[in-house]
Amino acid sequence: MSVLFELDRKTILARLGGDEEILEIMIDAFLSDYENNCQQLLAAWSVRDAGLIAREAHTLKGLLATLSDESGAEQAYLLEQKARQGAIADQDAMVDALVQRVRTVAGVLSAR
Amino acid sequence: MHTVLIVDDSDINLTLIKALVLKLGNCNPVLFDHPLKAVEWCQTHIPDLVIVDYMMPDMDGLEFIRTFRALDGRAEIPVLMVTANDQKDVRYEALSGGANDFLNKPIDRVEFTARVRNMLDLRTGQKFLADRAQHLASLVAEQTQEICDREKELIFRISRAAEFRDPETGAHIQRMAHYSRLIARALGLDESTQKLILEAAPMHDVGKIAIPDYILLKPGRLTPEEFEIMKRHAQLGYDLLAGSHSEIMKAGAMIAQSHHEKFDGSGYPAGIQGEDIPLFGRIVAVADVFDALTSERPYKKAWSLEDARKFLEEGAGKHFDPRCVAALFEEWPEVLEIRQRFADQHDTMPVC
Repeated sequence: MSVLFELDRKTILARLGGDEEILEIMIDAFLSDYENNCQQLLAAWSVRDAGLIAREAHTLKGLLATLSDESGAEQAYLLEQKARQGAIADQDAMVDALVQRVRTVAGVLSAR
Repeated sequence: MHTVLIVDDSDINLTLIKALVLKLGNCNPVLFDHPLKAVEWCQTHIPDLVIVDYMMPDMDGLEFIRTFRALDGRAEIPVLMVTANDQKDVRYEALSGGANDFLNKPIDRVEFTARVRNMLDLRTGQKFLADRAQHLASLVAEQTQEICDREKELIFRISRAAEFRDPETGAHIQRMAHYSRLIARALGLDESTQKLILEAAPMHDVGKIAIPDYILLKPGRLTPEEFEIMKRHAQLGYDLLAGSHSEIMKAGAMIAQSHHEKFDGSGYPAGIQGEDIPLFGRIVAVADVFDALTSERPYKKAWSLEDARKFLEEGAGKHFDPRCVAALFEEWPEVLEIRQRFADQHDTMPVC
């Protein structure tokens, strides 16, 4: 069960050496690109391409981890692992949940 | 300014890494969101550091590193691969494929700064060593050239020392040396051998330094006894130059000793014949006599070119190696050009 996303500025800033400017640059980059990432995952899912799903899930895992969203990164990790094992049947819910998670994160970031 | 190539298909990672690289200062980040485009850029550019993601479309980070390393001059460029901690197998493969170090995801600025700085320091050291090696190579080349020039000048001056005590001129040295090179070329000898005979031929008469003035400068015909003493200059020249490690000196010694030998065995000092006479000696014999005949001396007028040619033709197979005579004639237009270029007033320049 995923936990609600809250922007943990303290943790992220600790990783960025306290640099607020870089944090803002990073958030702006996420907001300008997240929908594109979601669409790529959905496109991979629509053709049931396990390799592509794994790659897109891996990318989202990295993005969410960068924003210290451990719960979202875990969701992406699980999907990535399933896809690597070729176990992609009946993963609609996982894909939808991950896309939803990314959009939620984007919503929180937009409202900061 | 360090050029840092960043290859990642994720815009957020590109943006983040670029921002961190810029914060380091003195860095110019070059970004690619597709590895194939980055490979294309690398064909014509050499970065100081590569930061590459592992998982990318069409070409993963491992393949990118292998492709990059295979490009000429890219084997030593530091490469950092961005991976997650749980990808140990990827890390091992990356290390064997040419990655120098890793950056963990999510990127931590302290770790990033330390690792990138280390890699850039490594690159700075590489460049310093390369520049130093190049600088030393050019210094060695410069010094070697200086030694060669000095050797050539020394040879010319030694040759002139002999010629000063002789009615012949410095221009004679120039001409006979260049005629010798022409003959060598027409005989098909390689460039370095042609150069060697050009540089060594001027020393053919260096043994005259040891011949007494009353014989060397005698205006009239030498008595048989005087001629016997005069003939010693060939062996004396050899004795003076032999034993050197220098290829030019060795060739000069051989020429000094053998340039008065005759093809039919009637020459001196050894009376050897045909191809027992060293080739350089046979070549210089033709060049030296031809120039002596066609030059004016206090005791004689210059022969016409026609008469000199006739003399060589008649001497072919007796005095001269016929192949060397034919070789000189083969290069006739250049013979005329050399005669003009080194007319008797120009006698101060080294041969080469």
